[in-house]
Amino acid sequence: MHRDSLRSTPTRRDFLWNLGGGIGGIALAQLLGGEGLGAEPFVPRPEFNGGLHHPAKVKRIIQLFMNGGASPMDTFDYKPELSRLHGQMLGPKEKPEGQTAAVGAVMKSPFEFKQYGQCGQWVSAVFPEQARCVDEMTFLMAMATNTNVHGASCYLMNTGFLLPGFPCMGSWISYALGSLSDNLPAFIVLPDARGLPNNQKGNFSAGFLPARHQGALINSLGDHPVPDLFASERFPFAAGDADRDSFELLQEFNRAHAAEHPGDSRMEARIASCELAAKMQLSAPETFDLLRETAATRESYGLNNKVTEDFGRRCLIARRLIERGSRVVQVWSGPQGAANNWDNHGNIQTELLPVATSVDKPAAALLTDLKQRGLLDDTLLIWTTEFGRTPFAQASLGRDHNGGSFVTWMAGAGLKPGIAYGRSDDLGFQAVEGKTLCYDLHATILHLLGIDHTKLTFRSSGIDRRLTDVHGHVIRPILA
Amino acid sequence: MTWRASIPAALLLAASRTFGALSAEDAQFFADKIQPLIEERCYKCHSHQSGKMKNGLTLDSRDGWAAGGDSGPAIVPGDVEKSLLVRAIRHSDPDLKMPKEKLPAAEIAALEEWVKRGAPDPREAPPVAKPAIVPGDWWSLKPLVRPSVPDGGSPSPIDAFIQEGLHAKGLTLSYEASRRTLIRRLYLDLLGLPPAPEEVDAFVASTDPQAYEKLVDALLASPRYGERWARHWFDVIHFADTHGFEHDLLRPNAWRYRDYVIDRFNGDVAWPRFIREQLAADALYPGEPKLAPALGFLGAGPYDSSAAGTAPKSFEYMDRDDLVTQTMSAFASTTVNCARCHAHKFDPIPQEDYFALQAVFSGIGKGDITYDESPGIAQERRRWQALLDAAKASDAAVLLSFENEELVTKWERLRGESAPWLPLAAESSVAANGATLSSQPDASISASGTRADVETYTITFAPDLSEIAALRLDLLTDDLLPAKGPGRADNGNMHLSEFEAQVLPHGGGPPEKAHFCRATADFEQVSYGVAKAIDGDPKTSWAIHPKVGEPHQAVFELGAPLALDPGAKLVVVLKQLQGGSHLIGRFRISATNSVAGLLALPPLAESALRKAHFERSKEEQVGLASAVLRQIAEDALARLPPPLKVYAAARRAENERGVITFPEPRIIHLLSRGDLEKPLAEIGPGALSAVAVLPSRFQFRDPPHDESARRAALAEWLADPRNPLVWRSIANRVWQYHFGCGLCNTPSDFGRMGGFPSHPALLDWLASELRDSGGSLKRLHRLICNSAAYRQASADRDGIAAVDPDDRLLWRMNRPRMDADQFYDSVLAVSGRLDLAAGGPSIPHFRSKPGPQDTPILDYTAFDWDTPGASRRSIYRVVWRGITDPFLDALDFPDAAMAAPVRGFSASPLQALELMNDDFVLRHSERFAQRLEEQGTGATDRIRAAFRLALSREPNEGELVKFKALADRHSFAAVCRVLFNSDEFLFID
Repeated sequence: MHRDSLRSTPTRRDFLWNLGGGIGGIALAQLLGGEGLGAEPFVPRPEFNGGLHHPAKVKRIIQLFMNGGASPMDTFDYKPELSRLHGQMLGPKEKPEGQTAAVGAVMKSPFEFKQYGQCGQWVSAVFPEQARCVDEMTFLMAMATNTNVHGASCYLMNTGFLLPGFPCMGSWISYALGSLSDNLPAFIVLPDARGLPNNQKGNFSAGFLPARHQGALINSLGDHPVPDLFASERFPFAAGDADRDSFELLQEFNRAHAAEHPGDSRMEARIASCELAAKMQLSAPETFDLLRETAATRESYGLNNKVTEDFGRRCLIARRLIERGSRVVQVWSGPQGAANNWDNHGNIQTELLPVATSVDKPAAALLTDLKQRGLLDDTLLIWTTEFGRTPFAQASLGRDHNGGSFVTWMAGAGLKPGIAYGRSDDLGFQAVEGKTLCYDLHATILHLLGIDHTKLTFRSSGIDRRLTDVHGHVIRPILA
Repeated sequence: MTWRASIPAALLLAASRTFGALSAEDAQFFADKIQPLIEERCYKCHSHQSGKMKNGLTLDSRDGWAAGGDSGPAIVPGDVEKSLLVRAIRHSDPDLKMPKEKLPAAEIAALEEWVKRGAPDPREAPPVAKPAIVPGDWWSLKPLVRPSVPDGGSPSPIDAFIQEGLHAKGLTLSYEASRRTLIRRLYLDLLGLPPAPEEVDAFVASTDPQAYEKLVDALLASPRYGERWARHWFDVIHFADTHGFEHDLLRPNAWRYRDYVIDRFNGDVAWPRFIREQLAADALYPGEPKLAPALGFLGAGPYDSSAAGTAPKSFEYMDRDDLVTQTMSAFASTTVNCARCHAHKFDPIPQEDYFALQAVFSGIGKGDITYDESPGIAQERRRWQALLDAAKASDAAVLLSFENEELVTKWERLRGESAPWLPLAAESSVAANGATLSSQPDASISASGTRADVETYTITFAPDLSEIAALRLDLLTDDLLPAKGPGRADNGNMHLSEFEAQVLPHGGGPPEKAHFCRATADFEQVSYGVAKAIDGDPKTSWAIHPKVGEPHQAVFELGAPLALDPGAKLVVVLKQLQGGSHLIGRFRISATNSVAGLLALPPLAESALRKAHFERSKEEQVGLASAVLRQIAEDALARLPPPLKVYAAARRAENERGVITFPEPRIIHLLSRGDLEKPLAEIGPGALSAVAVLPSRFQFRDPPHDESARRAALAEWLADPRNPLVWRSIANRVWQYHFGCGLCNTPSDFGRMGGFPSHPALLDWLASELRDSGGSLKRLHRLICNSAAYRQASADRDGIAAVDPDDRLLWRMNRPRMDADQFYDSVLAVSGRLDLAAGGPSIPHFRSKPGPQDTPILDYTAFDWDTPGASRRSIYRVVWRGITDPFLDALDFPDAAMAAPVRGFSASPLQALELMNDDFVLRHSERFAQRLEEQGTGATDRIRAAFRLALSREPNEGELVKFKALADRHSFAAVCRVLFNSDEFLFID
């Protein structure tokens, strides 16, 4: 099944989806003459708990994305063999495609590992806070990708394709399920305050899906988190009473125009979208006002500490967003570039530790908070990255790109907590058991949302495209 | 297990490929027992025949199971236990049970027996997939034959076709739209701008029966037409000003292609010529170098600069894939890229065709190319560049030609004596990183002791000269140096990164820095010419490998002689920053005040000059000619005006990574499943075999052809009047941009997954018109715009929507919402600030600052709309591929990461917020209000003027009252803001 995106006159369902779907769509359908929803594809079904093809376990998602390629063997993938073989030249003779330098000797982790929780998951000293949560987490220990280049790999982990131009997971979910309320966009992205990740906005693109499904970028630091939510102070004729009176006249004028042009659902959609915009103006400021949280909550997310403040603020905003109806919130750690991210070529000890510390407490706080509020019952939290790093040194202290194996953890509804799925080899170089590709991860996430990844399609340039391309298996062993 | 564990599997795979001929017994066994079994049980999911390769596995050839699927080889010949296939059919592994229903025991046993025997399999290569459809059966591949126009008395053939479709359903065209509607429709469609109120008035009042046709002609003649329609083409080919991907850099010369396309649309270039120019202007029109910007087509798409550096093989493959996709979807509406991993599932495109198209582009890389607009200068540059190349290559045939001999002889006559060189003795010498420098009796200096990674020598002289015109650096051998030197690197090489000099006046005062205008050397290592020692770039250098163990010299000529007062000092700095201890071992500095005879000549040339002409050996003649002609060519090139640049793709192009060259086109192999690690047969350049009337593989007269001949051959294939796809493709696109929907509503996919034309005969008629009349798009525009179908009203009619809800039969005109560009340009026009300056570098609509790496940080919200140039048409703005403009995004401006043959329609709350509150709209609301103040005196007049400017009509009484009330309370800017947000402004009736 597919939706024909090319007709200039949208169908009724297009019209409903123009509004971001969800409650607004249903309300509008009634407003337009009380017609029910037709048997069109991709309508969340109440009998499936809001899923499309089978009962959904998950209704919303927060994804934490570590930009640059988080090292597995210095965080969650304990490899004692690295200490034994430290200094030996065991890597490939020729530089693999996508690595940036010659392959060096085996390098042990500079960090101490310990086992935690009932499950006994090994965690290094860089993540003391997440270590306390391992019994809530489901680890994918053998994620793999087939490129060692940041741009291509970020695309792969976000869109399922190596090349730009494809919709990312958040856009697919927005397209499939819409928002849970009228107040907020379905898919929101919170980039690092220091800059956009690799591929810039390409990672949040709606690709060939309708533009309204692209990630709405939120500026978490500025006075205006949602761009153009209100007019700039420089334009008094667009503020306060003037704004209200102008809005009323606009809606009246547009209604009159629509009445003179009957049968054009796009004009109705425009009028409705303006109404929703006005609602968003009322609800958005409250969402981003973190002073409404208790001091204890703010402290727990690390808002009182310079190191954790930025990521902590965005984790807390993410929680507030999903509470208020957003479907997917993506929180990025690290801008692109040579510093302040997870691309630790030069020195694992000095480069990884600060960035790891900046996310550890906020990520753990978010997980704990979601659980305490009962949100974890229908929310999925995902911690991931675009690839791993070599067990072999780059120069003498860093690690190069390695798509062979890396770690992702998830927590939340529908998963078995406290388990580790898959295994990398003794050096952490290649996945050897339970190898998990982006397609499998995406298929599993969609499955939890009540979506069959092979049925969520959109026709573009002659192909019924999927998030999972022609691949993907739901990782059944981790499902509860 | 370590990573090395994967090796045995690879070895086994290799072993399995070395199979010899099958024994008769094995062949029989396979044919009787195995083949029918696999075909019945496995092919459904694992064969080319079914088009299914679940988990990447095919079982219809030995290559198929040997290469295996996602989990590795399916069969380890001879080893039942290690063969995944056996494990799967036994259902012993819960995660691997194939087929779902377990096979009968006898069949399992047969397959085990087969594996045990070493899996003898005569099926060498996968079967050539049968095309899913027969070319002649599909509408877009049928030869283009001009259909006869239906009878119906309509003067316009277009209307005859449309009415035939309508009558069949009992429908009719709508009445003609009002003149006010028509002029606004035509302006926005053809120019992308609204009409001025005076133009509306004149057109509405005109009594000329030809007024409409004349208006169409006038608009098509406007230079604004090209600015509007070029944008459609850029959507189709995903053109942008930056790379996209990780390092999303600006391409400062991409705009020349943009200007070229605008110019070509305005000049109504014939479509086949447009194809030829964009794909191969260099090969097909060598006498018109000013057409080089057309090749910007080849560089339109994204570029993964990071992958190009670190993963070149896969980068080139995917970069070519993008270009193949772009070319074939744009010109031929074919989704050939679907045949990268397997034969196209729906269209008759075998994988071979896809890789033949890769081969067309396998000799070019993206970057800036240089060109000259004047053919004369282009010819001069070619001549001297060819001579320079010949000199560098010591090409005797060229260098000793009569014409070039003349040049050398003349040089010899004019050169006079070699300059007198005065060796300079050092007063002091210092090495920055610890080397010991010691002066020798012959005025040379030896380096010894500490051998650092990089070094800088600073030597001070008190020369006995009043003026210096040049300095010479002699590199000397020494038995104490590795490989006798002259360098200190293990192989005797050295790298001189920068050669610098300055004069310190006697008694203090500011030093005077020497500016060198030319450097020559007796020998240069490939890619390490001596000019790099005076280019100011410490990352580039002069080196001498492999000619180590012998002395060398370089001469550095000053742009203007340096005067030395008595007592002044000369300081020479030798920076050696290459790393790897590529340091100078022994050297001497000499100076001269002579401005002639300065060239540093290689030994052969020096010895030639010491002899009479007839005494010189051929090597000496070539050596001399090479040194002299190189200098002459370099000087001549330096005298030419600098060449122009455009971002394109070519055999030699320059980008931020340096000069990208393809000495030969890459050899292209068919790739099993599109996997670079699984190459099959070599494939030569070609196109689609489904177009039976044209040769699908390109033949070239001279076997070692230039790569441009491949592009030229594809251009000719596309531009051929017999190519059925291309004419239909462009005719359909033109129709689509006029009516909002193509006759075929998937304009870049005419295959089976695309739409079927609503009016196949009309599409063929339009395509035939275009083809048979020389390919003029303007002629096609006229035919369309003058038709009654185009001129009809857009209003809904009771009951008809039930018959044809999508208006595919065109019982009314479509009513598009302004696209992002129309909205942007219309706001500028209505507010009276539109700047019609045309062409030139793209204008940023953002503020930028350096980013953490190569990609800058852009802030669109901080842009000041009063910046000069900010009021030019949107076609002239910078389109940053990866950091898009959120305002235009909200109006469905396409993502240039991928081709956008159709623009979407959104109406979201975020869009509403952008339109209401973006600085662009608000600042122009102010400007619009200001314009109103300048026009009318009273508030009522101003409201009237506002309606006439924005909506091309007068307000009614009710509107006057309400808008005046808003103006009275909150200023005219508020009124203007409402008008810009109104659906009447946004929609085009």
